[in-house]
Amino acid sequence: MRKPILFAALLLALSSARADSAASHENALKALAAKDYTTALSEFETALASDPDNIEYGSEYRQAVIQATAYDRCIKFFEKLVADNPKSSNAELNFGFAYVDKIPASGTITQVILANTALTHFSKAIELKPSWIGYYTRGNSYLFWPKIFGRTPLGVADLEQAMKLQKQDNKKIYHVRAYVSLGDAYWKLDDLSRARETWTEGLALFPDNPQLKNRLSKEGDDLKNYIEDALDPNKRVDTNLREIWTDK
Amino acid sequence: MTKHAKLLFLLIGVPVALQGANGASGIRFEEISRKAGISYTHHTRVYSGKSADVLRMFTSGGSSVAVGDYDNDGYDDVFLTDSDNGKPSHLLHNNGNLTFTDVTEKAGVGKGNDPISIVADALWFDYDNDGWQDLLIARFGTPILYHNERNGTFKDVSAASGLNKFGNTIAVVAFDYDNDGNLDLMFGNYFKPVNLLEYKTPNVLPNDLDNAVNGGGVTLWKGDGKGHFVETTEKAGFGKHTGWTLDIGHGDLNNDGFQDIYLACDYGTDRLFMNNGDGTFREVTEKAIGFDTKKGMNVDIADYDNDGLMDIYVTNITDEYMKECNMLWHNNGDGTFTDLSKETGTCMTLWGWGAKFGDFDNDGWQDLFVVNGLRSAGKDNYIPVLVNMITQPGIDFTDVNNWPSIGNMTWSGYQKKKLFRNLGSQSFKEISSEAGVDNDMDGRGIGVGDFDNDGTLDFYQSNADQPGLFYHGVTEKPGNWIELSLTGTKSNHDAIGARVTVKAGGLSLVREVNGGNGYSSQSTKRLHFGLGAAQKVDSVEIRWPSGLVERATVPINKISRIQEGLGLVRPVPTNHKGR
Repeated sequence: MRKPILFAALLLALSSARADSAASHENALKALAAKDYTTALSEFETALASDPDNIEYGSEYRQAVIQATAYDRCIKFFEKLVADNPKSSNAELNFGFAYVDKIPASGTITQVILANTALTHFSKAIELKPSWIGYYTRGNSYLFWPKIFGRTPLGVADLEQAMKLQKQDNKKIYHVRAYVSLGDAYWKLDDLSRARETWTEGLALFPDNPQLKNRLSKEGDDLKNYIEDALDPNKRVDTNLREIWTDK
Repeated sequence: MTKHAKLLFLLIGVPVALQGANGASGIRFEEISRKAGISYTHHTRVYSGKSADVLRMFTSGGSSVAVGDYDNDGYDDVFLTDSDNGKPSHLLHNNGNLTFTDVTEKAGVGKGNDPISIVADALWFDYDNDGWQDLLIARFGTPILYHNERNGTFKDVSAASGLNKFGNTIAVVAFDYDNDGNLDLMFGNYFKPVNLLEYKTPNVLPNDLDNAVNGGGVTLWKGDGKGHFVETTEKAGFGKHTGWTLDIGHGDLNNDGFQDIYLACDYGTDRLFMNNGDGTFREVTEKAIGFDTKKGMNVDIADYDNDGLMDIYVTNITDEYMKECNMLWHNNGDGTFTDLSKETGTCMTLWGWGAKFGDFDNDGWQDLFVVNGLRSAGKDNYIPVLVNMITQPGIDFTDVNNWPSIGNMTWSGYQKKKLFRNLGSQSFKEISSEAGVDNDMDGRGIGVGDFDNDGTLDFYQSNADQPGLFYHGVTEKPGNWIELSLTGTKSNHDAIGARVTVKAGGLSLVREVNGGNGYSSQSTKRLHFGLGAAQKVDSVEIRWPSGLVERATVPINKISRIQEGLGLVRPVPTNHKGR
């Protein structure tokens, strides 16, 4: 009789934590709408502390951090969160993104250090739980490194893995990203025909996608400038993961 | 008009007389260093010990060129620095026919590189207002000040000068910051003041590669006009600056008659100081330009868009692995500046060093030459090796022993130089190849002058560990021109800080005499104005540092000498060949 009671107590506690977490999340969104960043960030942090693997909370927290330009606070928070929750893949993923979010606000050399640290956390996230978002994110990150560092082949490997996973899954709106990035990766390896093949395959599935259309409509220096602009570390990368939970 | 509306107005094209500026470029140069007898190879300092090649790389900036007429024969001469132990610098006398004679030994100005000091920059200026150019040698060490003895020889007067403070000086400018008629000196120091040739601890490098605050800052020295200088760094308001200063530019940025200061800093924020007119400066960086994290390398100041306001050009590093973009600070006239480097096409010059404005085709619009390239060596690239170090968690960048050896690796080497022709409406066109100046050497400084007095500008490009290049301007059908050699009487004799406004052919052209703007180089103090097709000069107005404003009438296609209060005096020999 004792075991079922303990189990029920545990379930109750978990359910209560989730409820608290959801309430904090609600408070955070309200505070954010009112541009009360201090409250918003605190409430997001409370929500995440109770539900560390919640990709939605983590992503929304980081978007709030970008608005508040509180990058170091965010990094410090995730540092503790992953230390307290060493098996949470999504916490590691958002930890990596916290470094990515800081890149456009940093000097050129700090950008390299941040990008490299982000990769470490993306790798840890994959190690904990191999996933489409893990492979896509890390693979795409490699593409931002200049060719001289030889990281593009690593990006290709990850993006091919993401592509493999998405082909085993139902079609999701975010799958188009892998077509864009994998094509870019091939382009970066000077394999233009494979790049165009990938973008074309993507466009067949996502016929309205402007990124694919733009790439396929450009050639030579035009295409080079377009892709280099997309991979400019000085520009903010959209790290909002909303599509992941809105298209389940 | 709002700031944005003003900017839009600028970018869509200022409706002024362009004097054919948009036509095909005829800018041409011929490299004649060997023929001219001015081909000298610079040597960076060779260190000993474990981190020898890292320190050598960090101090590879001392290849400098200073242009000045030391013997008053009307032709600008050239001083070239060397940096390795025991290697002499060189004084090259201009023979007036595009050849030079090495007179270093007779002049007695070759020394400076010894076991505890490294020559890094040089400057001609008349510190005692006697009408003869004296010479300052800036060092990683204490500076050397030479007095011009008026007979082709120089006397070392360093001991009595008061310039006895050790600094790792990479840049020096002379200007009269309080307009008292005596030239003052500002030293830009790269490393903090520890002797790299005998350092006690290895923590000598930047503490942050984007926001370093452990550099040498600057020192300011007030001259008494008799050869003695007193440090006024703190009093003048520069004491808090501890950045890695690589270059200093001075100019009157707010048209108040006093010289302001822009500091280009490696590993972090450039600084802008406005002159209060009472011997002090106020820092206006945040409001005027904002805080940057770039690798500031060079400052040149000029009115590139002929709007009567001095603008600022700063080189940074823009390469495959680091995309900073240069900064062309357009002076908005309200205490703020807008970076228009991208819009004007002057953003991308790879690993930038010296950059100089000059009207190379005499069309009335100042063009821009930029040198670049850090280290051209073997086929292996140092960058991936360096990044492995940089990305190590917790690595201490300040420790020279943590930096990987560079050996024979290349780092941003073999880079083509950039020449931007000013098209006259907030845009420039890169023409280095057609102009014949797209060499790929490891450039550092640019000494611009009209060495044959023919009215077209020439320049010397100093390179690190490589021979320098001497480019003779052979532009086909350049426009008309005037050159003005100013002499102060109440103002400092060099007239540094004097502003001249020339009106001709519908253009209003502003130039200021500067005392060493631009990385690792000093250009001629003679002011050059291209006039395009204009057949006469409508007006010349000189605002002297003393405050005196006078007008002069000068002939076109001639070099005119103007003395404060006396107007036109004896002319300078001119070799104008006609259009």
